[in-house]
Amino acid sequence: MPDSGRLPAAPDQAVSRLQERLTTRYQARISGALVRPATPAAWLDLPPELAPGLAAALIARGVPRLYAHQREAFDLARAGRHLVVATPTASGKTLCYNLPVLDAVLQAGRKALYLFPTKALAQDQVAELTELGRALTAAGGTGIRAYTFDGDTPGDARKAVRTRGDLVLSNPDMLHQAILPHHTKWAQFFEGLAFVVVDELHSYRGVFGSHVANVFRRLRRICRFYGVSPTFIFTSATIANPAELAQRLCGEPVTAITRSGAPQGERSLLLWNPPVINPDLGIRASARSQTTRIARMAVKSGLKTIVFARSRLMVEVITKYLKDVFDKDPRRPPRVLAYRGGYLPSDRRAAEQALRAGRVDLVVSTSALELGVDIGALDVAILNGYPGTIAATWQRLGRAGRRLRPSLGVLVATSDPLDQYLVRHPEFFFDASPEHARIHPDQLLILLEHVRCAAFELPFRDGEQFGAEDLPEMLSYLRDEGVLQRQGDQWFWVADSYPANAVSLRSVAEGNFVVIDTTGGAQTIIAEVDWSSAPGTIYVGAIYMIQSQPYQVERLDWPGRKAFVTRTRADYYTDAIDYTRLKILDRFEGRASGTGAAPGGVVAQGEVHLVRRYPGYKKIRYYSHDNIGYGNIDLPDQELHTTAVWWQAQPAALEALLPDRQQAIEGFLGAAYALHHVAALRSMAELHDLGRAVGDGQGTWFAVTGNDGRGHLRGPDNALVEESAVARFEPTLFLYDNYPGGVGLSAPLYDAAETLVRDARGLVAGCGCSGGCPACVGPVLPGDAQRAITPRAATLRVLGLLEGSCAADAAADHGV
Amino acid sequence: MGFEERLRRIRGQAPDPTPATPAADRPALVERLRRVGVGRTADRTTGGIPDEGALANALGAECLAPGVLRLERRLSGGRGHERVLPTGMTAWGDLPWGEAVLAAGLFDAQGPDAGAAGDWLCLDTETSGLAGGTGTWAFLTGVLRADGRQWLLRQYLLTRLDAEPVYLDRIAAELTRPAALLTYNGRAFDAPLLATRFRLANRADPLDGLPHLDLLGPMRRAFARRWPDCRLITAESRLLGFQRSGDLPGAAAPAAWLGWLRRGETAPLAAVLRHNRDDLFSLAGLLPALVGVYRDPAAYGADCRTVAAAWQRRDPTRALRILAANRQDLDASGLHDLARLYRRAGDWVQASGIWEALAARGDANARAALARYCEHHRGDLTRALLLTQSLPPGPERERRQTRLRVKLGRERPAGQLELAIEPYSTGT
Repeated sequence: MPDSGRLPAAPDQAVSRLQERLTTRYQARISGALVRPATPAAWLDLPPELAPGLAAALIARGVPRLYAHQREAFDLARAGRHLVVATPTASGKTLCYNLPVLDAVLQAGRKALYLFPTKALAQDQVAELTELGRALTAAGGTGIRAYTFDGDTPGDARKAVRTRGDLVLSNPDMLHQAILPHHTKWAQFFEGLAFVVVDELHSYRGVFGSHVANVFRRLRRICRFYGVSPTFIFTSATIANPAELAQRLCGEPVTAITRSGAPQGERSLLLWNPPVINPDLGIRASARSQTTRIARMAVKSGLKTIVFARSRLMVEVITKYLKDVFDKDPRRPPRVLAYRGGYLPSDRRAAEQALRAGRVDLVVSTSALELGVDIGALDVAILNGYPGTIAATWQRLGRAGRRLRPSLGVLVATSDPLDQYLVRHPEFFFDASPEHARIHPDQLLILLEHVRCAAFELPFRDGEQFGAEDLPEMLSYLRDEGVLQRQGDQWFWVADSYPANAVSLRSVAEGNFVVIDTTGGAQTIIAEVDWSSAPGTIYVGAIYMIQSQPYQVERLDWPGRKAFVTRTRADYYTDAIDYTRLKILDRFEGRASGTGAAPGGVVAQGEVHLVRRYPGYKKIRYYSHDNIGYGNIDLPDQELHTTAVWWQAQPAALEALLPDRQQAIEGFLGAAYALHHVAALRSMAELHDLGRAVGDGQGTWFAVTGNDGRGHLRGPDNALVEESAVARFEPTLFLYDNYPGGVGLSAPLYDAAETLVRDARGLVAGCGCSGGCPACVGPVLPGDAQRAITPRAATLRVLGLLEGSCAADAAADHGV
Repeated sequence: MGFEERLRRIRGQAPDPTPATPAADRPALVERLRRVGVGRTADRTTGGIPDEGALANALGAECLAPGVLRLERRLSGGRGHERVLPTGMTAWGDLPWGEAVLAAGLFDAQGPDAGAAGDWLCLDTETSGLAGGTGTWAFLTGVLRADGRQWLLRQYLLTRLDAEPVYLDRIAAELTRPAALLTYNGRAFDAPLLATRFRLANRADPLDGLPHLDLLGPMRRAFARRWPDCRLITAESRLLGFQRSGDLPGAAAPAAWLGWLRRGETAPLAAVLRHNRDDLFSLAGLLPALVGVYRDPAAYGADCRTVAAAWQRRDPTRALRILAANRQDLDASGLHDLARLYRRAGDWVQASGIWEALAARGDANARAALARYCEHHRGDLTRALLLTQSLPPGPERERRQTRLRVKLGRERPAGQLELAIEPYSTGT
């Protein structure tokens, strides 16, 4: 390979030259390529009526005019319209809210609340605002007072923040637990509150978003008490439904600004699939090996490069490999830098500075650099694995691309099904975002907890509204619980407690578990585990990982919600075996499944009751993934009442297509595996937010993959059931919402059922393996590929049936 | 499906095995909740409905408005307080208010003569909990003030939640200017809580801007290192010799009030009122006691050093007197304080005597002080240099050494200096 690093070409050509070399040399690995042409800037003038000094300060900071979307945002905000700005990374989103806010502060002495999902982002913003404030005073105007308010704010500084801050930068958890329940201390602040700025809107989805929507209901209630109705300004990464999500969050119509006026250089994206090295098992070369190779080529071409990895461990591994290449000489300043959470703040600041100053050629990072930390722009972004959402993918890719200069992004797929699916479906990246962020603010348990918190903050009056449920019924319930008293037309809080402390915005059910490290005698809380995932993760004997340090669970105090762990050096991890039984309680609606000519089944949604049993766990050795032993889990059955979507095949059609019931079961299990993954993609959920199960819908049997790797039927008592003994064989495939009561994940899946089945079928049909592999239908056994009907083929038949395409066609298409 | 049934299901209980009644035939949810409510909170019926008249009778209180009771008494002291309490105006009026306020060092807003005795009032609230925030009520507010030779006690009790605005107005009327507040932990607890209640009721906070003397601060300063804690109950027992009998602990107050609201229980509320009264009388008694403590801390077993430190700025003579009188009990930092006061008073003999004694024990700060003293007052540059050389290394030592060498006018070669560095002893 020619060492082009010695004489780096001008970056403009270097990017296209690198791309050319990659595409010609590794053509077979590139499954898709996309070029977004350069777009020129769309400029508009600064608003004429800006506060005195503000225009001068902006000009002094090199902003003599605005991008079109910034001006649009200003005009909407000035008119008191709620808005969301969903434009790409580095398009100047912060000015979209800073400008109207500063204008209101300077002209009318109003105040603003900024909310960021994390503390670090708030601190970054204060730094930026302080600079703007300096420019303002330099321009002869009055300054602004911007303070962070978070768990680290010392007690004696809090009063100053409350009474003197023009801008308070905080996070939803602090709003929920510290500000709203003490709103009278913030009276002065609330009385002046004109804007609520919510950054990183797309992260407010699922359970967290559902909680935050209720926190905003409480916020607006408190605002009404102080006679203000602030304007909400959201910013978001590009998702499919920014306005809808913002609207659900703040409860009022929101205008979306999606067209960016910022200039952009030409952007190329390559989708990279590592080569298959074992065709029988569908094993591909590791993503890591590909990522380091591409990174080496980029740096040697003189291009500033960022590599994103999905775990902190992977960041360290890739950094080591690249440092071995580029930082061999310890006397020279390092060219390669790692950046991730867990480093000291001062180290992180130093790294950011080195990046901004261009002293580093390559940075390896976790998602920590995906959000708005200012590191300047780079030329090449390499993603080691799909980040989990398209929105996050674009945010990371957005790190490459200086103004008007071309940039290159490479997404390197791992062998996960989602990665494999996406890398073969470039349209997900090319078309409009397919991702809908969903929340369900009226989820009963979440809503009830926030009614409780709201009642603490201000007495409810008869006739008030809060959420979509019947408020008087909920208040009556709380009265009977003893926390409220009704007198006159009001409901008063009368309990000796502080309800917000018992509600975590990041979970549904009360009673999270804390993980306590007892190594060395001391007791230190090191993690918190959601109630619903506790039984599968912190059973006695489990290996619990924190920042790739393994801990072993020694004791589990179930009623006390505590798991006691010690550090260990175990060379294995543990994987709980769980059996899930589902019973349909209430079918809301159903229809024939699929769009094809021959409907082979039905799809429906409704409420289900679920019993999960954890009989034991497997110990699995690292790297080899050998199963090296079993342990027992002694826990009561876990019950969950939630919502689900399910598919059923017509018994006759199924029998005609897959007469062997064993194979039918395997087909259903494979279909569930594939559907689970594509559904997580569509709903912007994590895999564990959804659950999957195959059973008969009435709890008489359910299917599991046994220790022998085969699908089995088991009865309610967990005893084996012979397939032939089942009178009416009607397998049902469930995807359920994995939170108590459901957080609204299953309804959109029902609406998109056809798309999901089609996607799942595409995932399995397009896989490079022969008989099935973890990238499509889940692990298969050696020899399965030689069977007449492989697990993959059985899965395709089941999915074909659910899709409604003719069974014979399906068989012919895939040569089975 | 009804709300409760759904909640039950979500929380993970198995669905009801008996087939549910068809939704249409089921009674309305409110109706079912009412039925369930009666069954569930049986305690509500056993105690009966809150009866305000009965409560007023039981307490000997008058009903000011529906939901607001007032208990008013003229007393010469609370139970057991007669022995320890100055009687009424005479004693309280004789108090050196300026001195007390100065000693507390807590409020500078008010001049020393601001507190004519009649304007001072003791304030204490009982609350529905300690959690704070807008959901915590101050259901009982007690006010005690001197009245001729007697004490006037007024306790306002909130017995209905929707009567809070009236209740607050009555309290505000007690606090009209030129009132001045005397509390125990009132700055951190009672005052912010009342501010919250007034704000929620859309009323101005009458406490805002009132002179406020919180005895917890000065009490802590004097006794934090002498007593296990500085709670009011500890202070009254140690300083006033007052022992409560049958006291309802403050922590039981929330349950007592909730017992009244939910079940109409009156007896625990009566106990809360007695507790509140005892708190107020102790508070009144503690003020003169605390003045005594700040005059002569040793006599009360208080921390002489911290008490003297409180006087240091306003009345250095008194601070010096306190420390000098207790010199044998002072630790090194106390002795330094004393030496500093002597120095400020120009008494160099006493000051240097203390430093010499401390330096002999190896105290580096004392050596530094002595070095300064030798250099600037005694003109003994040689000793100053020797003392300086024995100090811990650092830029300060280097600066001083260089300066002293210049002054001595005999820059010696380094080798000779080495010889001069010896451990300091009083003999040299």
